[in-house]
Order: sequence, then structure tokens, then C-alpha cells
Amino acid sequence: MALPEDSSQPRLAAGCRWGAEKKIDTGLERTVLFPEGAIRLQGTGLQILERCDGQRTFGQIIGELQSQFADADPAKVRSDIGQFLEQLRHKRIVDY
Amino acid sequence: MIPNPLALIAELTHRCPLHCVYCSNPLELAAVSSELSTAEWIDVFQQAGKLGMLHAHFTGGEPLARPDLAQLIASARGAGLYTNLITSGIGLAETRLQALVDAGLDHIQVSFQDSREGAANWIAGAKAHAHKIELSRLIRQHKIAFTVNLVIHRQNIDHIEEMISFIERLAPERMEIAHTQYYGWALRNRAALLPTRAQLERAVEAVATAEQRLAGRIRIDSVVPDYYARFPKACMGGWGRRLMLINPSGKALPCHAAEVIPGLTCENVRQKTLEYIWRESSSFQRFRGEEWMPEPCRSCDRRGDDFGGCRCQALLLTGDAAATDPVCSLAPAHLIVESALAGTNSSDTVSQPVPASSFVQLQQLSSELWSYRKNPD
Repeated sequence: MALPEDSSQPRLAAGCRWGAEKKIDTGLERTVLFPEGAIRLQGTGLQILERCDGQRTFGQIIGELQSQFADADPAKVRSDIGQFLEQLRHKRIVDY
Repeated sequence: MIPNPLALIAELTHRCPLHCVYCSNPLELAAVSSELSTAEWIDVFQQAGKLGMLHAHFTGGEPLARPDLAQLIASARGAGLYTNLITSGIGLAETRLQALVDAGLDHIQVSFQDSREGAANWIAGAKAHAHKIELSRLIRQHKIAFTVNLVIHRQNIDHIEEMISFIERLAPERMEIAHTQYYGWALRNRAALLPTRAQLERAVEAVATAEQRLAGRIRIDSVVPDYYARFPKACMGGWGRRLMLINPSGKALPCHAAEVIPGLTCENVRQKTLEYIWRESSSFQRFRGEEWMPEPCRSCDRRGDDFGGCRCQALLLTGDAAATDPVCSLAPAHLIVESALAGTNSSDTVSQPVPASSFVQLQQLSSELWSYRKNPD
């Protein structure tokens, strides 16, 4: 699966938006609503998608999360995030 | 504890400017005089939000026939729901579309009957095709999600590639390719709509090819025709598990066609709360869980995946709503579906659109083939 370009600027696709949020034991759970479905996000998934604001580039998002998870292999952080976003793009939840 | 419902299907009205021969609305349409008022619908959406529902699907008939549609969308959005309008687009021009978007519309879903204008208008029983194309262009000027829905059947399936390319040019995020489901008017017109196995196999291949080509650009969701499947569909995601449908006159139904089930008393939102209906009413409990299941469902490994299939289809085809859905290859009544398929696969007539100067003339010219959907009183 191809990864996003470093200069691309991921954002929620048209008609996809943040819905309700609630506090859970490990922090916050937020919902993204989209046609015919919804995903509940917490932890890393949430941190990735919250950065998909159409301003930050894919390169910046990777950089921020690589420094936050300094113990993890940077190459693995990059490919995990890239694949996560690519999957969401195929579902037309994220655009870049 | 019963989990919360996920979505509300709001059938605002059974009035419709189209007369599609595959319409899944019941043959007994809800009368205009029985429709819920604006205030009653607003109350329903507020209850839905409190009950934890996430989506409101505005459908019909044609929801645009309700002059208060923008107000209803705003109230659903205000209750925290994601709003989806399922429409023919007739009655929607620039100003009204803007008003719906301003009210908080998240997603619009427009149905197309064909890529070819003559054929599309023939299926719809109305001159709607050209307007839908123009509307699609207007929709893309707004930041809302856009889905094009294409209903597939015997009369259009042979040029499915052409229809997919046509939709591609309308640039939606999502394309829904839905084989006709045989309820309501579609069941009455089944002989003219059910495709042959050879047609189906070719179409499935064409959709798979298109899915690959469009990946990342347009998402294709396809609904397979259950008559040709080995196992039934998980209708509504299971009875009383995910969805609640409110019909134009306020009846709460666990499935689109549930009103046809004899002895099923459906509550009305005019008398009962959504929470009561979801948790306590006999109609929503009737086929919830596994207690009601006959064999072979009761001991089947798939009972948690398909929940025994569709109760309304079981009733419509076997006369018993508690029977295994006869589309299942394991169902005792599967012969009913097999004989419908045998009839279809032994005849190769595919009719062509007939040019007509009026709807009355079109009805007369096509009367041997099918009945057009009527409008409620």
C-alpha cells in the first residue's frame, strides 16, 4: 500500500466530522461521523486524526508523533501512520 | 442490557414525484393527512439524540416534499445526529440546497436510474434524469458528502460499466451499487427486474474491476442480490439491534416492510417514547435475539452473522414471518426462490424503454411489464 507524500496535508473528507466525545479511563474517546458509519477513536488513532487538520503536512504529523513515541522505531511509526491514513482515505474518511 | 440504537430512519412522507418500479415502499402508502407534524418530528430527533443514536437518515417517498425539511435537519443536527438526505433531487435547486446545507446537512445521497436518459426516465416514470445531473454539479459546490446511488436490475445491468463511468463523472465520494431488493413495488414487478445468473456474474466482475480502478477516489459499496446468495443478508443489522424506522404517520418499525407482518403491533411515536419502543415494545422484541428462531437457524453457526435473514421477506415469500429467510440455501422454503430464479433464467426477454408523451401513456405502454409506484391519498 502506497504511503502519503510528506508534503500532503491530510484532512477529514467532505461530510466527515467530529461527533460526541466522552471521558474514559485512559483519557478521551472521540467519534468521527461519516456517511453510513462512525469510528470511535482513542489513544494513538485519536492523536493521528486530530492532527489531520489540513494545515499540518504528513511529514510534520510523523515528526510530532516520532518525538512523542521516542522509544518506538521511527520507520515503523511512519509506516503505521501512513497505512492507517491510507485505509481511511480508501474509505473516503480522510483526504490528501 | 439492550445496546442503544445507532441510527434513525425518518420516512418523512410517502409522497414522491418519481414512480420507480423497484420502490421498496409498501403498497399501502401512508396518507398525507396522517403525516407527523414539524413539532412531532423535532421531538423524535431530540429523543433519538438522547438515546445515543448517531445518524438520522431522511428518506421517503421524497423528503423534499416536506416544506419544513430544513427545520427538521437543523433539529436533528442540533440533537447531535449526523444528517443524511436520501433524495431524488426533484424539488431541489440552488437556494433550497443552500438552505439545507446551512441547516447542517452532512451528506446527500441522490439516486440515478440509469446512465441513459430515456431508460432512466422510463424506470422512474418521470422526467428526472437531466435535473439530477444538474443538481450533482450544484452539490459539488458545497462541502458535504455526496453519494450516488444506482439501483441495478435486469433492464440496466448489461451496461453497468457505462453507468459506473457516468457516475464517476459526477464526482461523488461514494457510489452505492444496490441490486434491487424485492419488497413492496419491486416484489410486484419482480419478473421484469430480477437479472439472470449470467448477467449477475458479469456485473459482479465489472464492479470489482471498477473498485480497484477508483480506489482512494470513489468508494464503492455494493449490495448483492440476495436471491442469488447462498446465505441471507443480516437485514437491518438484526431485528431491533441497530436501527429504528419511523414511517410518515409515526409508526416505529424494526424494518422497512415490517408493517406487513400480521399480528405485529407497531407503536406510534405519538403515544410512546423512542426509549420505550426500543427497550420495551413487543414489536422490537419479537425477533430480537435467538429465542424465536426455527431450525435450521437455531443451531446454525451463522445465526450471529445474519440473524436468520429478513423477517419481512420470510413473510412475503412463505407467509410465515418466523420462517428462515427463503433466500438461504439451507431454508426449508428455498424452493420458492429457486423457482423464481428458474423462471428468470429460462426467459431472455429484456424490454426496452418506450417513448411516451405523458405518464399516463407511459403507464399504458408498459403495463404488461410492470406497475409504476403510485402516490398516497
